[in-house]
Amino acid sequence: MNKTIIININGIVFHIEEDAYEVLKSYMTDVKRHFMNSADSLEITTDIENRIAEMFNELLANDNKQVIVEQDVKSVIEQMGTVEDFEHAEEDTKASFTDTYYNADTRRLFRDPDDHLVSGVCAGIANYFDIQAVWIRLAFALTFFFFGTGLILYIILWIVIPKAITRSDRMAMKGEKLNLQGFKKNFEEEMGSMRNNLSDFGHEARPFVYKARDFTGDFFHHLGVFFGGAAQLLLKLIGVLIILTCAGFLIFFTVGFIALLSVGYFGPFHDLPYEIIRHHHADYIFSAAFIVAVIPIISIMLLVFKGIFNVGGIGRTTGTTVLIIWLCAIGVFIFNVVGIASEFRSHASVVETIALKPTKNNIYYIKLNELKYFSAEDSTRLNIKNLSPNMKIADDDDNDFESFYHRNIRLNIETSDTDQPVLIKSSRARGPYYEDAFNNARNIKYIFNQQDTVLKFDQRFYGRNDELWHNEEVDLTLKLPMNAKVIIDRDMDRISDLRVWDCNNINKRDNDKVRSATFTMTNNGLQCKVDTLVTDTIIRKHLPADSSNIKVK
Amino acid sequence: MIVENTQTQMRKGVLEYCILSTIAKGEIYASDIIAELKKAQLLVVEGTLYPLLTRLKNNGLLSYNWVESTSGPPRKYYVLSEEGKKVLEQLDKTWQELSYAVQTSIGDRKVK
Repeated sequence: MNKTIIININGIVFHIEEDAYEVLKSYMTDVKRHFMNSADSLEITTDIENRIAEMFNELLANDNKQVIVEQDVKSVIEQMGTVEDFEHAEEDTKASFTDTYYNADTRRLFRDPDDHLVSGVCAGIANYFDIQAVWIRLAFALTFFFFGTGLILYIILWIVIPKAITRSDRMAMKGEKLNLQGFKKNFEEEMGSMRNNLSDFGHEARPFVYKARDFTGDFFHHLGVFFGGAAQLLLKLIGVLIILTCAGFLIFFTVGFIALLSVGYFGPFHDLPYEIIRHHHADYIFSAAFIVAVIPIISIMLLVFKGIFNVGGIGRTTGTTVLIIWLCAIGVFIFNVVGIASEFRSHASVVETIALKPTKNNIYYIKLNELKYFSAEDSTRLNIKNLSPNMKIADDDDNDFESFYHRNIRLNIETSDTDQPVLIKSSRARGPYYEDAFNNARNIKYIFNQQDTVLKFDQRFYGRNDELWHNEEVDLTLKLPMNAKVIIDRDMDRISDLRVWDCNNINKRDNDKVRSATFTMTNNGLQCKVDTLVTDTIIRKHLPADSSNIKVK
Repeated sequence: MIVENTQTQMRKGVLEYCILSTIAKGEIYASDIIAELKKAQLLVVEGTLYPLLTRLKNNGLLSYNWVESTSGPPRKYYVLSEEGKKVLEQLDKTWQELSYAVQTSIGDRKVK
């Protein structure tokens, strides 16, 4: 009594005994695998299946029985031919096209445990390219001298390449076919190598001349093989380089991403810039950008792994899923970038003229306001009022990375037509529509104050707490009357390009000690006031090419 | 090895010619082709024929018709296409030339 299975070959139903089924199944698997690389694989295998179904029908009709047994399957296979028969027919064709049919593409990279000095990496690579292990070892030994690059590569390969453990691993490593014939060959080789080892005693006793002849013959033979392998090896090395580069980028993006997520918020001062991204949106955008960047990198790495070492690879479903995730991420990213960009569509500027009090002796001190202002909201939140009287907030703006944004304020000093000094404040900003841009420009709060002769300029401006950055800029034009004596602090360099430093140099003053310089307002604008003690030679030495605006008193 | 190689080369070249010739006699089923070729001792197993037929069909030399069968799935009956006929004519000519060349070169030498 035997168990039968019902099978369906292209629409025709058969009863088949279990062991017969196993034989048939493994045969069909072999056939399909054999034709797998052919473009017409489906058509050929369907033809073969149909023919098998027909032969089964004939067998059943002839013997007048209902169930297919193992013998039937065997006779059908005999008539159809085994995969070895097909191979025999095809190998000849291949041999006729290229005399040396190189079957490295069927090989896999393993570490060779049978032939190793350290871990079998070199022997494994040698097996892969079908060359002698000694050449790979020599190449590695040489690269050890180039700053140890070979050593690092060796260790990476040691980690990456799996060890050949089973017999089938070893056969795949040497590119032998994974069927019974292959196993037999493999086994015979092992026996053969044992015999060789025994007979090696005889070889050792050969005269030196023969050895030398063998050596030169071997040398040139292996050299030829070596250069053939070297090209392939170079390809692999490039692959490894690509993988390492990708790994570097991957680490860079991951660190950047984590840093952005954890350091998203810029302290209590709502001076510009605010972020250009609303805070609760930021994480989405960073995540989307991270995915957009990282998925292609990982794909490249996997592809290179697959292409070069024939390990890894992405399944179709995984690939599709990842592609969809990537497209979604790119969608989110582009949507947000367009949103951010649209915030900068329109432009508006507001000009305000502030009349200053003229000073009696026409002397003006221009200084940078060191004070920082908290908004009402922030001072409540930070409880500034209850700060003890002896305590001060001591932040040095120069060390702050926000100092970068001082460039958004520019101060120019010009000659006034009248005796009345004025400050013209021009604020500019952008926004999605003119209305918003106008409001953004108008909301810029720039603090300036005059205490008699001292004009104090802030080095920053302020906006509303919840506002995003809209490329706000403030241009200041200070118009002073003719012949005014202007003493400018060197700190003003931060928001203007008044040449305090140069002026002190001309006067041979030590810029480390003297913090300000004196200028005079003339028809041509502000001029450095040069001390009478300084001689002409020194002036020439320090004068820039366009020396017209420097006057000797 | 060299002998074997030459033999297979010769056989391969002739095989396609024989397949086309067999089909040229009229609409024919794949296993009948194999029967003919087996008779001529050119092919041993059926499996090797299918890839060849598929290739010839894809090259436009053959076409096939589905014919219902009493003993199994419908069968593909192969016929020569117009192009196939032209190719066959050329092959016929080449074969005549080859045959003549071989005969001449063998000459009086006795072939067992």
